[in-house]
Amino acid sequence: MMVCVVLGVSAVFVFAGHSEYFIGFLYGAIGVGLFMVMAKILSLIQKEGKQDD
Amino acid sequence: MIDISSVPNIPPGFIFIFGAALIPLFGKGRVRDFYLVILAALGLISVWFLREPQTAWSFSVSGFGLIFLQVDRLSQIMGYIFAIAGGGAIIYSLSTVKENGHHICALLYMGSALGAVFAGDFFTLYIFWEMMAFSSLGLIWYSRTERATNAGMRYILFHLFGGCALLGGIIIHYMNTGVITVGPIESGIGYFLLLIGIGVNAAFIPLHTWLPDSYPKATIAGTIFLSIFTTKTGIYVLARTFSGVEAVAYIGGAMCLYGVIFAILQNDVRKLLSYHIVSQLGYMVAGVGMGAMGVGVIGTVAEEMAINGSIAHLFNNLLFKTTLFMCMGAVIYRTGKNNLTELGGLARKMPITMITCVIAALSISGVIFFNGYVSKGMVIHAAELKEMHLLVLALTLGSVGTLISFIKLTYFAFFSKNENIEAKEAPLPMLVPMCVTAFLCVAIGLFPKLLYGILPFKEAALDYRAYEAAHTLGVVELVLMTVFLFFMIGYFAPHEKITYDIDYLYRKAGRGFIWLCENPIVSFAIAVEKIVLRIADFFVRFSKNPLRGTRMMMDMIGVALLKPFVFVFNLLIQPVYKHYERDLEEVKMRPVEEPMERMSIGTGVLLVLLFFALYLIAMFIHGWLA
Repeated sequence: MMVCVVLGVSAVFVFAGHSEYFIGFLYGAIGVGLFMVMAKILSLIQKEGKQDD
Repeated sequence: MIDISSVPNIPPGFIFIFGAALIPLFGKGRVRDFYLVILAALGLISVWFLREPQTAWSFSVSGFGLIFLQVDRLSQIMGYIFAIAGGGAIIYSLSTVKENGHHICALLYMGSALGAVFAGDFFTLYIFWEMMAFSSLGLIWYSRTERATNAGMRYILFHLFGGCALLGGIIIHYMNTGVITVGPIESGIGYFLLLIGIGVNAAFIPLHTWLPDSYPKATIAGTIFLSIFTTKTGIYVLARTFSGVEAVAYIGGAMCLYGVIFAILQNDVRKLLSYHIVSQLGYMVAGVGMGAMGVGVIGTVAEEMAINGSIAHLFNNLLFKTTLFMCMGAVIYRTGKNNLTELGGLARKMPITMITCVIAALSISGVIFFNGYVSKGMVIHAAELKEMHLLVLALTLGSVGTLISFIKLTYFAFFSKNENIEAKEAPLPMLVPMCVTAFLCVAIGLFPKLLYGILPFKEAALDYRAYEAAHTLGVVELVLMTVFLFFMIGYFAPHEKITYDIDYLYRKAGRGFIWLCENPIVSFAIAVEKIVLRIADFFVRFSKNPLRGTRMMMDMIGVALLKPFVFVFNLLIQPVYKHYERDLEEVKMRPVEEPMERMSIGTGVLLVLLFFALYLIAMFIHGWLA
């Protein structure tokens, strides 16, 4: 647990100091989060079924 | 020795259009298949031998200069793309299509798309544009299902609307400028009509719904053809007419995100791919909006990069998207199943299909060493150079969404467990084009200069460094993070659910309009018809027997006037009302041809004098008032 916290905090510091090298990770995380939220919102207008007619 | 340059060029579209007419002569066997392959080869050769630049096959019709063959670098690239991808689709269709009609529709569609690309003027473009719409409709209707029939109707209605907008825009543009050649458009109503007309084919949001509605319902081979021509012709015409319009670039960004969000939610594999057409078109539209194209136009580095990126992505998209549709077509052909929830476990049963599908999925997701990485990178790089940060964000996030949906597609179609599925590898005519296009995806990814050489701005393209360290590292990180989160979260598994798109509103409105026509408007029409028939009936009776007609009229007026008061003043009015009603029934019952009621000559003369006096009084009052 301790090791994970240390690794996590170090990762945040490294990321903050050299963000230009990790921008891809950031985009990936933002993208997945965005599409999860959008999928959740659009699930409100989904209905059960196999075909759209 | 024949000097090839002295041989006049034939518009490549004509080869397919006239070739389609000869198909019935070859029956339905191997001879026909051989003929189709020869035709595909002839089409590619005819594009190969086109000399650029040139303007040929020009005719003057009613003062309009119609040009059937206008060749420049851009149109020739499009010609190559269409001839190669269309040729692959023809070979693919040999094993699944039996009907001659289907082949005729496909060839007419291909020929008209090539005709539109090489058209030098707007009217010729419009003619081929409409031919494309109607010939492609056959590819949907050949599915011969009710769903396909209904989707085909919606498809053609959308395209007729787009065609009308295009024609209106062309006419207004011509009346304002007197110019009919394909090129940039003056601002005004014509500008917007042309943008809408082209936007329907290029699947602008919210004009895109015909695409995910109809493509999944077309025949297996029909979907391949559909995915090649209509939208790409839209992008080509957009590049000719609306390049450098910043709003168009942002429309592209919106398409990119919108398409991918809806793709992630799909369960039907072909619907998922159809939404990805919208998304990938977004990159091309964005490139066109940022670029500069036209006779004598000299663009900046960013503008040239944008047009190059747009056309490169169009070329690459045809390769990987055609491969994906072919792979999923093969899966449906062998399993009979469309939905991801019913698929799985096909990796060992259809290994070649799986490998080609994974290659195409990696390509469309923009993974390094595949062709999508090169062309997406060019478009995003152009947006960075133009400092359009919002667009950069939209296009990059679009890549993440694309990767999510293609991990979902390949994993749940091929690698997830499904003990009950039965399938075997696709037939050879399906495998050959799949393997060729998948090979080209890898080849262009590894050696991007193969692609740079054919782009509109060759020098600018050769200056682009696709595998620059920072860009490559960023893409690798993006891919790793997305794959990691996809499997860790496990949120994007397919479900048996249907997601409503904007077409839900169109369809509701359409159904409401039909109800309005079938109920209130029809009731009103029936009521009007009854009144008109009564009036006509009265005149018929009056002309046959004026006295009886007058009596009927008086009875009817009496009944109509007294009816509302019967319930209020029952005792007082009821007898009079009953009298009129009885009399009316009685008069109606009499045959019309009964002998006329006779009157004395004196009474007749008196009546005539009375009418004459009334006429004179009316005229007198009229003159007095005037």
